[in-house]
Amino acid sequence: MKITLTVNGAAYPLDVEPRRILADVLREDCGLTGTHLGCEHGICGACTVLVDGEAVRACLMFAVQCDGSSVRTVEGLAAPDGEPHPLQRAFSAEHALQCGFCTPGFLMVAAGALEADPNIGDDPERVDGLVGSNICRCTGYEPIRRAILRAAREQQGDRDGVNR
Amino acid sequence: MEQWTRREDRRLLTGRGRFVADIAVPGCLDAVFVRSRVGHGTLREVDCAAARAVPGVVGAWSAADLAELPAVPYTLLARLSTEEAVAGREWPALVKDRVRYAGEALAVVLGEDRYRAEDGAAEVSCQVDPLPAMVKPSAAVDDSVRLFDGLSNIAFQGEAGKPVEESVWREAAAVVEGRYRQQLLMPTPMECRTILAVPEGDRLTVWSGHQMPHRLRRELAALLGWSEDRVRVVVPDTGGAFGSKSAAFPEFVVVAFLAVKLGRPVRWIEDRLESMLVATRGRGQDQRVRLAADAEGRLLGYELKIDADVGAYPHLGAGLPMQTAWLATGPYTTPQVHATVRSVLTNTMMTYPYRGAGRPEATIALERAMDVMARQLRLDPAELRRRNFIPPESFPYRTPTGRCYDSGNYVAALDLALETLGYDKWRAEQARRRTDPAALPLGIGLSCYVERSGGEAGGLHEFGSVEVGEDGTITARCGAAPSGQGHETVFAALVARTLGVAEERVRLVEGDTDEQPEGLGSFASRSAQVVGALLQHVARRLVDEARERAARLWELPVDEVAWSNGLVHAAESGSAAIEVAELVKVTGPLRVADRFESGMAFPFGSHAVVAEVDPELGTVRLLRVVTVDDCGVVLNPVLVRGQAFGSAVQGIGQALYEGMTYDEDGVPMLASGLLDYLLPTFTEVPPIEVKDTCTPSPSTPLGAKGAGESGCIGTPAAIVNAVADALRIADPDLLQMPLTPDVVWRAARAPKLQEVR
Ligand code: FES
Ligand code: FES
Repeated sequence: MKITLTVNGAAYPLDVEPRRILADVLREDCGLTGTHLGCEHGICGACTVLVDGEAVRACLMFAVQCDGSSVRTVEGLAAPDGEPHPLQRAFSAEHALQCGFCTPGFLMVAAGALEADPNIGDDPERVDGLVGSNICRCTGYEPIRRAILRAAREQQGDRDGVNR
Repeated sequence: MEQWTRREDRRLLTGRGRFVADIAVPGCLDAVFVRSRVGHGTLREVDCAAARAVPGVVGAWSAADLAELPAVPYTLLARLSTEEAVAGREWPALVKDRVRYAGEALAVVLGEDRYRAEDGAAEVSCQVDPLPAMVKPSAAVDDSVRLFDGLSNIAFQGEAGKPVEESVWREAAAVVEGRYRQQLLMPTPMECRTILAVPEGDRLTVWSGHQMPHRLRRELAALLGWSEDRVRVVVPDTGGAFGSKSAAFPEFVVVAFLAVKLGRPVRWIEDRLESMLVATRGRGQDQRVRLAADAEGRLLGYELKIDADVGAYPHLGAGLPMQTAWLATGPYTTPQVHATVRSVLTNTMMTYPYRGAGRPEATIALERAMDVMARQLRLDPAELRRRNFIPPESFPYRTPTGRCYDSGNYVAALDLALETLGYDKWRAEQARRRTDPAALPLGIGLSCYVERSGGEAGGLHEFGSVEVGEDGTITARCGAAPSGQGHETVFAALVARTLGVAEERVRLVEGDTDEQPEGLGSFASRSAQVVGALLQHVARRLVDEARERAARLWELPVDEVAWSNGLVHAAESGSAAIEVAELVKVTGPLRVADRFESGMAFPFGSHAVVAEVDPELGTVRLLRVVTVDDCGVVLNPVLVRGQAFGSAVQGIGQALYEGMTYDEDGVPMLASGLLDYLLPTFTEVPPIEVKDTCTPSPSTPLGAKGAGESGCIGTPAAIVNAVADALRIADPDLLQMPLTPDVVWRAARAPKLQEVR
């Protein structure tokens, strides 16, 4: 089936079998291997990407469902000039990753939420909910929570013109 | 680099990490295995014909089609298995005539991609006639059904220490007993197992998320009948391992064999449901303990009897329970300790190291018994421990179970844990709640542990080198292979510090057997302790070599030539000086390679937990968790803290959530995957306070002991003890992990302890 995915701003005209899941198409057809598969049954969240701004499990969605949609993956998180996203910096600063396998999923969950609601830093419980939606076996999560809060507050600070 | 705390972070945070599944090799085939749906049975037939007709399927084979397929290797490393245990017990990579665990591979299908290979696998038909499946040692130990005809199901027996004298039990003021089940756990790194085998000319390059690339090279070369130099093993980014990624598994044997046979690249990327069925397990022991003390609470004797379920084949872990036996003494001066092991074959996937690997089992048994003893003697559990700790001045300390502890200050760790927790305050709160019928019961649990790091005799060394290039870059190489521990950052910093040069100049290369000819790997919490010491040693030798060369150049005695910060100079006049890169240009390549051996080290610590139990719901809420760990001198406090925290959460997983269950056919009851096997999520993470004390190890030059397994070892017993303390039941054995609401609810209804007479 012929579809077009817009991934991180670039158009990918593809011919894919309807049964192929989005994660496989991103990884194999588009060559974007930053999206990882940790369970392939919708629990771990390692495969999370943004489809039209919404965080989705890319292992539970067929690529053909995203025809014409805009998909954002971890490769598209940094600014075009390569400047890292505040979440990327915060994850590193808070040591929110060890093996890094779950990391793209947590980054995309957080990125989606942060874009939808820039004030999420004022709502620690929502941040807890975001962290609770994915699985990490290495870090024990607490550093991930701190990283998301840090990035959120930093963005808020920037917006409010506060020097942190 | 200043944007990133670790060197690894840049690529891992931007989607540019490179895991095995990310490596695109043109023409690569995907392997999918057809697996047994029963845990025990006789294989009657496998028919792959229909699979071969599926479009995109390149081939499908059962064992009958591949007469030359080698068997799965066994390991003698760290005495994980023995020649006697495996004698007469072959582990075929594809089942030949007898299925011995659920999910054992019956056939393999190669397809142009995984979809096609799975299409093919669905067409393979198999017939297995079921036999009684035995999933617990108690079911298999009497040999009424044998896994291997003519051979006992007991594949290994061992002991540590001498039997406790009968008089000890007779004359002791108090003797307590307990039975503890160490349930089977799934290590569950977020990346499952991976292998990609690429034949090139007369060589095979194998990419695998693996902890021991040189062992994998050796084992694969041996089963192909090749010399080792024809196999190259490369470990790219690896998504966690926790001890479980260090063997040559049946699937690896099949993939390497078929890649060579077909002359085509083949990969196997295990998926989660498959991993839950057939990846190695951790723990798996049925324990019986007896502990004796005098009236003052001085321990007199301790006996630990282990029936371990080691899985269907003894190849990977029949000897692993000896790790528990050797550490049975724990941190106490108990004069007589005896531990016995029977490793029983069962119809389950193999038991193999999982973070802690034998030491959690030792700690949990002893520390639970300690709490029972404290109750019996009406002593505060902290006080009972204090009275029995091996005192700091007694090291090195030889235990009755054959270990020689290097150093320790156990009481300091306990004191810090109690102080951090606010022990007295919580005891007061507990007393208050006991008088308040509306309050939920609250318990405080302690667990003091000693563990072993670095490896076993014969495996305490590592290989590596340091090299200076003409452009001034410094390359360190070693045989380790990381899976999230930040080696590139820590070891580069260590080498830079030893040489006095900027960190940016140093690059670490590891996990590639072509780059580093010999190596052991990353296991047993050994990397900081053993590899760190090696790299420091090699870097120092490099300094000496540079000084010698400069001395020759300048015709000076060596001791008049000094090294500082990458500059070699004459110590006296100060006139002669040469940057090491210049020295390389003048005198040729400068590279020092060596092997370095460390001693075993014994990290220790005390963990303390406050738990609140809801007897109506059976739920356990952890109000506070305090971990105090001592792993000697710490190379990078931030990374060690991260390891301590992450492992504490895994320890919570064992205590409260995780565990394998099987149906009557011996099939794991995990139909809904990770909805059936509960890994802790953030919602389950309580407030955890991570602290440390520092008692340097005399057995390694850096003074570092292993870090990273502490939480799995120390935390579970503290949690169970806290729940037992909250419920005050007469028979704490009712509390067997995981403490699910069902277990706790039932225990809450059991008879209570007799109150103070
Ligand atoms: S891989 Fe999609 S949720 Fe786990
Ligand atoms: S960092 Fe390894 S799973 Fe999260």
